[in-house]
Amino acid sequence: MKDRLAAALKTSRADYTEIRVERTWSSAVTFRGRRLETATVSEDQGGFVRALDRGCGWGIASFTSLDELPAMVARAHELSRAIRLDRAIRLAETAPQVADTALDLDGDVRGISLGEKKKLIEAYNGAMLAVSDAVVDTQAIYRDEVSEVWYVNSEGTALAQVRPEVTVSGTAIARRDGTIEKGLESIGLRKGWRSVHGLEERFRVVARRAVDLLDAPRVQGGAYPVILDNELAGVFVHEAFGHLSEADFVYENPQAREMMTLGRRFGKPVLNVGDNGAAKGLRGTLSFDDEGTPTQDTPLIKDGILVGRLHSRETAAAMGERPTGNARAMSFRHPPIVRMTNTYIAPGRKGATVEDLIKDVKLGVYACGAFGGQTMLENFSFTAAWGHMIRDGHIAEMVKDVVLAGNLFQTLDRIDHIAGDFTWNQMGGGCGKGGQFPLPVTEGAPHVRIEEILVGGDV
Amino acid sequence: MIEQLLAAARCADALWRREERTAIAFESGRLKTAGIVEEAGVNLRVVSGGRVGVAGTTAAAPDVDELVARARASAELSEELDLAFPPASPLPQASTFFERAANASLDQLIAMGRRLVERLAREGCQVNVAIEREVGETMVGNTAGARGRYPATGVGVTAEVIRIAADDVLMIYDQYVGADLPSGDALEALARSIEMRLEAALTIVSPPEGALPVVFTPAGLAAIVLPLEQALSGKTVLQGSSPLAAKVGEQAFDTRLSIVDDPVVPNGPASRPLDDECVPSARTPLVERGIVRGFVYDLETAARAKSRSTGHGRRGIFGKPVIRYTNLIVGEASDHVGAQHAGPLRAPSLGGGLIADMEDGLIVDDLIGVGQGNVIGGGFSHPVGLAYRVQGGEITGRVKDAAVAGNVYDLLKRIAGFGTDGRWLGSRWSPSLRLDGVSVARR
Repeated sequence: MKDRLAAALKTSRADYTEIRVERTWSSAVTFRGRRLETATVSEDQGGFVRALDRGCGWGIASFTSLDELPAMVARAHELSRAIRLDRAIRLAETAPQVADTALDLDGDVRGISLGEKKKLIEAYNGAMLAVSDAVVDTQAIYRDEVSEVWYVNSEGTALAQVRPEVTVSGTAIARRDGTIEKGLESIGLRKGWRSVHGLEERFRVVARRAVDLLDAPRVQGGAYPVILDNELAGVFVHEAFGHLSEADFVYENPQAREMMTLGRRFGKPVLNVGDNGAAKGLRGTLSFDDEGTPTQDTPLIKDGILVGRLHSRETAAAMGERPTGNARAMSFRHPPIVRMTNTYIAPGRKGATVEDLIKDVKLGVYACGAFGGQTMLENFSFTAAWGHMIRDGHIAEMVKDVVLAGNLFQTLDRIDHIAGDFTWNQMGGGCGKGGQFPLPVTEGAPHVRIEEILVGGDV
Repeated sequence: MIEQLLAAARCADALWRREERTAIAFESGRLKTAGIVEEAGVNLRVVSGGRVGVAGTTAAAPDVDELVARARASAELSEELDLAFPPASPLPQASTFFERAANASLDQLIAMGRRLVERLAREGCQVNVAIEREVGETMVGNTAGARGRYPATGVGVTAEVIRIAADDVLMIYDQYVGADLPSGDALEALARSIEMRLEAALTIVSPPEGALPVVFTPAGLAAIVLPLEQALSGKTVLQGSSPLAAKVGEQAFDTRLSIVDDPVVPNGPASRPLDDECVPSARTPLVERGIVRGFVYDLETAARAKSRSTGHGRRGIFGKPVIRYTNLIVGEASDHVGAQHAGPLRAPSLGGGLIADMEDGLIVDDLIGVGQGNVIGGGFSHPVGLAYRVQGGEITGRVKDAAVAGNVYDLLKRIAGFGTDGRWLGSRWSPSLRLDGVSVARR
């Protein structure tokens, strides 16, 4: 395949050309309620060409028919030449990379029968259904894939990568009369078959929680001290800060660049944030990004101060900074754009526990688990799966519909305590941006305390 | 390809689809990217031994026997289902293809984008515009003899204005989606809609607090409509998790609320003559004058629920068909439901004429995190992305750091008003709705 790509590359007359070809083998088994919905094996393949002539724009071609490759190389060049720019697009220098890398397949999913996969997810689905008669509906999904990605560019980079992925997820719907609640479990790993066994209890727990939520009151709206558990703190850092550290949000906008000047204080000295695409064995981990740049650990906030951001080669050149290996594409159907990988809040004082964070809170909310999050840069939401009130330093009654309304300039700066109990939260699903969803990412965090944040709800 | 697959599989249906997309993107007012996407694939579903299996491929020259074998292997694991494919039947007219859109050159699309960029340009604002034009062809067929084949065009224009002033970030977005190219008037309406919301947002005021009247604009209405979309899906009904399941024929909503799915609206973004399972398109009334009338079904869900498919099967290249709405029309019941949305474009107005008697309240145009809560239960709680305060019947400015919450099923029992600003947003048509007693919390 590499030779085929190299030959196509040679035909290009553009100043810069890159070609990415992918072949993805995947299988999926889905249960809904007691019934098997689907069990499928699929093969998807296609290519992507991006060309850039000096003083011109990006020309892009994506296609499913690989026979078209040479024609598509010419087409991308033609599209590039259709755009004239007064200020040329530049790419930051990177050393050409030549490598064949295969991430650990950890039990190659291609060698396991659909029947075996059905048995596994059926057991997890059954675990949820067995919890209570109040569990009226479930969805349980097993999904895996092995993606082979070949990448070449006209600067001499030639890469072959194998990227595995496996996800098991479950939704339990509990109902009593008109009240309906859900519980959600999702485990996504850049691994294989061996890594998704023995998880019944986790599925039971979320089904039980859905049932428990039937009796929980909605949280009262207002501003509270809030303690985030590891999972929600991870979603929080992704939404609150991760997206704004993606340089494509700022590089073309002078006001945004000023707002995000390196050296600006965003938090108290306890706050340290980074993004590490090279961390071992995580879902957002890659050896090279989709421009052939090696991934790395990029500090974003150090002791509360903005120290870095995430780049593609284009954004790095425009801002006079170095590429960080964060140019990622969902698939051959999309161009690489600046994305997170494994984003984290570093642990605080060693040994500091969640109890230490709660003990002097008179009235607050302990917000746990994550249904999701979304950002509009300054303002963002993150939705807990469930919560508990904190009363006089103790965890009290369960509450539901805990949705937090964050503000970039206020919320980060109100993080006053960070526990030492760091974990990576390897969920399925992923991040969405620019029509590319779901991109596999991971978030990691310890328990985090926010002195005050708005919680939506009845007032 | 379809004929070969159907012949090899005996009892089956199949879909073949080819799409070519041309996309251009202006970033900060500069055209920076032009791209094309060419994609084709086939999806096969077989009934084998009373069980249903699927397989799909994007391979240029698919191996028919391999695909059939893969679909049969998928069927082996499935449960029994008495799935009957629909026979050949006459199809309604649906305008899915517009020569003008199909033939528009790259230069024409660029010129259109450039005009919009220039129209929206203003000091201190970043303007991003993207245009995508799709030309596609769909073929569906089954072994009961039904066939369908239609070409389709689709055009999407999105515009975004970002204004950053010190630490205030304001993002305003709008879009046109249609089967045909937008008219000059439609593009002008898009630009004015952004301008109108931008100008009203320049002043920041403090948010109110309490149970208040809130006007949800067609864009802001997403959080209100989403639970209904889930509850009106035959799938949710079959699974026993739809709050509307037992309410057919009952008055569940305000007597003025109607919801209909219409796959044959002229120039409708999701119009087509038949669905992806060979079921002819027809209007499906879901709520009429507040009374629940029915649900949307695909073939499999209908077979399990002992109901009939309403023609809402949508399939991709991989996986099996799923239920999908087409053009969803949400609005005030009248004898002309379905006629009003075909009317001429109106000058946009913020609040849809629903704020004149509002003492203190909000206009909500965008909420953050829609779809991420316990949607099916009908409860919602979201920070505002873009919202305006109304005081004494006037918009006084934009509010930040506020959150709205409520329950859709409670709030829609009494709708305080339907706006005069009905419009398409993607494939949903609706006016603004004013709902009273929405909880507004602030920091």
